[in-house]
Amino acid sequence: MRSLGLNNHKPYLLVLPALIFFSLFVLYGIGTVFAESLNLSLNTGSSIVKYYIELAEKPGFWSGLILSLQVSAAATLLSIIIGVYLARQFYRRVPDSIWHALAWLPMLIPHFAAGYLAVLLLSQSGWFSGLLAQVTLIQETSRFPVLVNDKNGLGIIVTYLWKEIPFVLLMSMPVYRRMDWRYEDVVRTLGGGQWQVFKTVEWPALLPVLVETGIILFAFIFSAFELPYLLGVTYPKMISVMAYQWFYEGSWSNRPLAMALMTVSTVMVLIVAVVLLGLIQGKRYRMMRGR
Amino acid sequence: MFVSPARPEQQEKPILTNGIKIFVLLFFCLPFAILLLQSFSAGWQWPRLLPGTFSWRAWQSLSREPRMIPAISITLLIGLAVSLINLILGIPAGKGLAHYRFRGKSLVEAVFLLPLLIPTLAVVMGIHIFMIRVGLTNTVWGVILVHVIPTLPYTIRIFRHAFENLGSKWEEQAATLGASQLTIYRTVWLPLLIPSIHSALMLSFVISLSQYALTAIIGGGNVVTLAMVYFPYFQSSNRSVLACFTVIFALLPLSFYLLMYSLYKLFIRGPGHYRGC
Amino acid sequence: MKKLVSVILLFFLIFWVAGCGGSNEEAAQEQVTAGQAENILQKEWAEIEKLAQGTEIRMFMWGGDENINRYMDEWVAPQMKEKYGLTFTRVPMDAPEFMQKLLAEKKAGSQKGNMDILWINGENFKNAKTNDLLYQPFVETLPNYQQYVNQQSKNITTDFGVPVEDLEAPWGKVQFVFLYDSAKIPDPPKNFAELAVWVKANPGKFTYPEPADFTGNAFLRHLLYDAVAVDKLLSTGFDESFLEENARPMWDYLNSIKADLWRGGETYPQSLTQLDQLYSQGEVYITMGYNEGRAEPLIKQGVFPETTKSFVMEPGSIGNTHFLAIPYNTPNPAGAMVAINFLLSPEAQLEKLDPAVWGDNTVLDIQKLSEEQKNEFAKLDRGASVLPEEVLQKALVPEVGPEYVDWIKEKWMHEVIGAE
Repeated sequence: MRSLGLNNHKPYLLVLPALIFFSLFVLYGIGTVFAESLNLSLNTGSSIVKYYIELAEKPGFWSGLILSLQVSAAATLLSIIIGVYLARQFYRRVPDSIWHALAWLPMLIPHFAAGYLAVLLLSQSGWFSGLLAQVTLIQETSRFPVLVNDKNGLGIIVTYLWKEIPFVLLMSMPVYRRMDWRYEDVVRTLGGGQWQVFKTVEWPALLPVLVETGIILFAFIFSAFELPYLLGVTYPKMISVMAYQWFYEGSWSNRPLAMALMTVSTVMVLIVAVVLLGLIQGKRYRMMRGR
Repeated sequence: MFVSPARPEQQEKPILTNGIKIFVLLFFCLPFAILLLQSFSAGWQWPRLLPGTFSWRAWQSLSREPRMIPAISITLLIGLAVSLINLILGIPAGKGLAHYRFRGKSLVEAVFLLPLLIPTLAVVMGIHIFMIRVGLTNTVWGVILVHVIPTLPYTIRIFRHAFENLGSKWEEQAATLGASQLTIYRTVWLPLLIPSIHSALMLSFVISLSQYALTAIIGGGNVVTLAMVYFPYFQSSNRSVLACFTVIFALLPLSFYLLMYSLYKLFIRGPGHYRGC
Repeated sequence: MKKLVSVILLFFLIFWVAGCGGSNEEAAQEQVTAGQAENILQKEWAEIEKLAQGTEIRMFMWGGDENINRYMDEWVAPQMKEKYGLTFTRVPMDAPEFMQKLLAEKKAGSQKGNMDILWINGENFKNAKTNDLLYQPFVETLPNYQQYVNQQSKNITTDFGVPVEDLEAPWGKVQFVFLYDSAKIPDPPKNFAELAVWVKANPGKFTYPEPADFTGNAFLRHLLYDAVAVDKLLSTGFDESFLEENARPMWDYLNSIKADLWRGGETYPQSLTQLDQLYSQGEVYITMGYNEGRAEPLIKQGVFPETTKSFVMEPGSIGNTHFLAIPYNTPNPAGAMVAINFLLSPEAQLEKLDPAVWGDNTVLDIQKLSEEQKNEFAKLDRGASVLPEEVLQKALVPEVGPEYVDWIKEKWMHEVIGAE
């Protein structure tokens, strides 16, 4: 990495167009929303805090929050583990691009359609249930294990895996393509096995990409409502579904609550992001000094 | 000129290789097969593995939807524009972040990450009022611009990693040989970045394609994309029509990909080191 | 930790930017449109029709039913072109989205939008009314409304208990019915007690959408009517302590059948769509919903079994009306009024009633039609799954106000789900 003088204007010129775009659209957008919630509370004389207290007392809020954290963490971690494993095996054993293309197929389908596919395949009257019935393992739909609309969010996690593993592949395959494999020869010469190779050669190159991918996935899964809405249960509900239902229900009386909930989820995501980025930055720093 | 480091040799383990392939087929491809079957079914009762009756009915009823062709064209147009804007803004930004250290870099990184961390619903509401004031609502341009919001962070990320992995030695060599900035971009970076460009294009197109709430609110019904026609059908209990829609939806990025691929073959003659995805 | 500092800084920046935002030019502009509006409403109808000639209108409506879409695109649009020279465009958009759009336009002070007609009812109408999002009271002006609609009927003058006050024109009306597979249930229940017996005898074969869903909430309102007579509810008005005291049987009932519901009452379908899909897959034997005629097209498409029939139970079947409104910032009020007037005409209503087209009941008062028109309405066969008009009429009960919807939603979470 080349480090240049601080007064060089070149990097600013490079990032400026994108920066202007985001400032104009995103920062201004969020600003307006905040201004409005401030105005609202000034006009009505009630403090914003009121909504947060109301939120904390809402039935299902805490259990929903916990479920959201569990599902997001599980789906993110599993996507990354399986995705990296696949990327690794793809690069080493299955070089034909047709297989890579097949694994990317789920990216072509939006999340809400993926949820519908999950119902088609995994529900108690779905295709797999039919398959089991054909081989006479079950006689009735209710005998099929509950995978969709289950209390632990299993169906949600599996469907997210289907959608996000390809994304992990997309982010990590380029790393594998450009990895300097001479290091691997070194490790192997020194008697290291598969795991040693992965740990010393592949992991350092993958880590920054994976942390960012993880943050993106976690943030997305935590705040997206499509899949949990289709595949979740009545109680507990993931908080993204609660926010969505409050926001879009006929009466607008729960809207401030929906906004408060979105703020809470944004803050949670920011905390996770900051912690992970902090970790990686420390690591990067050590790596640079170590070289 | 780009020499790929040799792929490490593997001892033969056909079981594992085949296992991976079977996993890909079962996990990623089987749902698509079921989807296709469903789109041709008229009534599919449990526990049949194939539809009871096959019919073109669902496809026929879609072909009678007069908005279909215009919706597909406008969706392709918007996707194309969004992807191009993504490249124009994303490649320099990715390079800036990868190859330089500068004051305020963390802040810039934070801004670039922000759109992915904030619920879209919250952003939309704020942007909507802004867009009305500047007169961009109910226009194709407005829709294109808001679609850049959820896509650009990914694109920047893709290019940042690409540039980080490539390092800056290529550029230095070219500069030593007296090449201009533009020439360096065209002859050095572009060919090396092709895989990343592919990823970025596909990803921004796919994300742009599936935007419903953003398109509905900013496009205000004047811009009817495929998602606008498709999304309401999720409240219909006719699974076959839904399946047809999903198939068409999945075919769009594929055709977009082929379009971009042929454009690429036409206009850029790279060093032939491109590996298809 | 530099990142952390940046993020915090960023939020301060946002707050600061936010402080500078906000403007208030709306009030002055509003009066201008109000003035124009009165002008149009004072004109003769013939003149309004002339104004509409050659213009364009856009109707925003839910687009999830191919039959409804086809009725609008293939029948209504060409007719309007031919009769009034109106270019009619249907825009598929869900009500929450266009309501959100309209609210933002109001906040941003936009005086010229791109929506001319909205298809709404219930809480959406209430929101639109309380936030002044609608055009001047125009319904009285429509000739077809004056001629064919019973203006005294409660179903026309109120929308979910909210006075309509000429802000929206009735378009169609629907009644809540249960749909069942007659091959599996020879003798459908006649009241909630019989339903409970049936549910116990057929565990897992019945459920209802959770009350956050429009239909699920309506199912629970029937149960509320069973516990407390609807006349009593209407005459007392919404009174939470009264409900707490008298609605007890409703929650007891739900808890008593819970264990024998689909999935043991552990979860409920989140939408009517989900319940319909369970029904079409044979996981449950009963589905439900507004619109007494909605099973017909689904049976034809092979989605529902051919043996699907419908029934209503004591204490009746809730009916409601859906309406057409004009947003405050329509660019073409004359065109919108002409179009709505046409949608209220006997021919448009008759076409809409045809089960092969849509199967939505008419809002017109049959008694006010000509003999010939009466005959045509009488001749129309709504399909085998639809109950006879007399049965439906006899069972008809009105909607209570939207406050009940929210109350049921909240209370159900406590009483039935036991959410903390």
